Amino acid sequence: MAGTEGSPVVIVGAGVAGLSCARALAEGGRRALVLDRARGVGGRCATRALEGQPVDYGPVFLHGRDPAFLAALDAVPATRLDWPADVHGSGAPCQPEAFSPGEVRRAFAEGVNAFPRHLAEGLELRLQRKVVGLVPGDGTVALRLDDGSFLETEVAVLALAAEQADELLATVLPAPPAVAAARALLATASSHCALALLAAYGPGAPRPPWHVSYPETSRVVQVVSHESSKRPGSPLLVLALQAHPAWSRLHLEDPDWPRHVLDEAARLLGAWAADPRTAHPHRWRWARTDLAAELARPLLLALPGGARLGVAGDRFAPGGGVEAAWRSGRALAGRILAGEGA
Amino acid sequence: MTGGGDALAQLVLRDRDHECEGFGPGRVCVRVVAVARLPTRAGPFRIVAFWNNRDAKEHVALVHGDVVGGSDVPVRLHSECLTGDVMGSLRCDCRDQLTEGLAAIQREGRGVLLYLRQEGRGIGLINKIRAYALQEQGLDTVEANLALGFRDDERDYAVAAHMIHGLELRSIRLITNNPEKLRQLTAYRVEVSGRIPHVIPPGEHNRFYLETKARRSGHLIDVDALAPRSEQADPVVVAPAPQDPGAE
Repeated sequence: MAGTEGSPVVIVGAGVAGLSCARALAEGGRRALVLDRARGVGGRCATRALEGQPVDYGPVFLHGRDPAFLAALDAVPATRLDWPADVHGSGAPCQPEAFSPGEVRRAFAEGVNAFPRHLAEGLELRLQRKVVGLVPGDGTVALRLDDGSFLETEVAVLALAAEQADELLATVLPAPPAVAAARALLATASSHCALALLAAYGPGAPRPPWHVSYPETSRVVQVVSHESSKRPGSPLLVLALQAHPAWSRLHLEDPDWPRHVLDEAARLLGAWAADPRTAHPHRWRWARTDLAAELARPLLLALPGGARLGVAGDRFAPGGGVEAAWRSGRALAGRILAGEGA
Repeated sequence: MTGGGDALAQLVLRDRDHECEGFGPGRVCVRVVAVARLPTRAGPFRIVAFWNNRDAKEHVALVHGDVVGGSDVPVRLHSECLTGDVMGSLRCDCRDQLTEGLAAIQREGRGVLLYLRQEGRGIGLINKIRAYALQEQGLDTVEANLALGFRDDERDYAVAAHMIHGLELRSIRLITNNPEKLRQLTAYRVEVSGRIPHVIPPGEHNRFYLETKARRSGHLIDVDALAPRSEQADPVVVAPAPQDPGAE
């Protein structure tokens, strides 16, 4: 898949935006190298094993309306589900946008991470590499890694949550006007955080009659995903409980937040829900972009020495979410291949 | 009462039971759904409301004189600008452009102004105000503005072209200084028989330019001192300022 023309584009972040950018570059004959601080690919499009079952703890299903994006989902070699089919409650009035007319919803029995894993196939990846700084040079930009080493490239791409991209842009000193403007742009809106609790219950637990529930009476829990319903016959009940953005922000540093979420689950679902057999908490500091923050396209900044710095992610295409991340990565690849900003 | 009223009303009847698979690669479908008289400060018009399947926006046409089935009809495309058109913002010249577009059609004796509700994309107005905020910080680069979808120079005139077809205009003379508009409309099979330069007579509708000039010469104290500019994809020319022959 790797082309030979030019030096590799170095992409920071192996989430959906970074991977879709790398794939589109490779399709266009340009080598790409994807770095991520995590052990696996996918970023927030995340699935983990809980009692041997795959459980989604970021987005629990994927949705969109762009035919190209839907085709990319259909190309994933996984057990595709029209899930959620049974949706309970409509939550707060501004949620959930995934059910507006025209949206197609998809889940995988193996978990949503099957999508980024598929995108990553054949790509050059370096995992467990954290980029901590950017140093523009003559025609190149050097990426400083947390082990003190540097990686030089003519084109770097930040495919991270907007706040994480901003942290790296802040290391470009002195900030050229393009970088200062990009930081001001990112500062015009912020991402929502989300606390997510995965809980597995023994065979005696009642099975909810829905796939996802958006409780209308809770200020704590925004959505409950009936994860084990993705795999009929599953011996255990597995739920993914995600807290509201405002509540999550307030309790991000509160060590007792999982207890509060379980207490709320008991109030919503029944006393049994307070005591899972196994539970796993996860904090998403930058879970998703505010829908009123969407941008029309990714950034491609010209640095003073002539290097180019792209910024893509879920904020950089209309609609937000995994679809926007995927589209922004491809759009940025198109701009890089077209020689824009050079 | 401007002429051609019955013909416009017939278009509503024509489109009432309209069903189609859409036209062209974008499968665009545009219907004329309502017509009424609209007297304006610039003169008498009829306002024609359109529905389309493409962008969930309610575009309108201001029509003067007999145009349905007509040839060489003067047509002006104006993109919505809430701050300029309605609020009279001096950050842009949109209101002057709109006023002059309507006046030009009255002078010609007939014509159509398509008022396109495309204030950016999606959250266009929100992001336009974000762009103004960046401007106040002196940080409004082209890249940032394009990311905000503000003053997007890749405006798509597919719906506008279909509105022209919907009005059954055989050929149009486009009131414009922007060759890109001509090119796009032609690509959507609109017969463009000529061009009318979009020129503002000095001292008449050009309050924006007079204000701007005053600011720049320092006669008017302006706390913001921000350079105003055109937000339409089609900058107007103030006569007798030198016209750019390269525009065509």
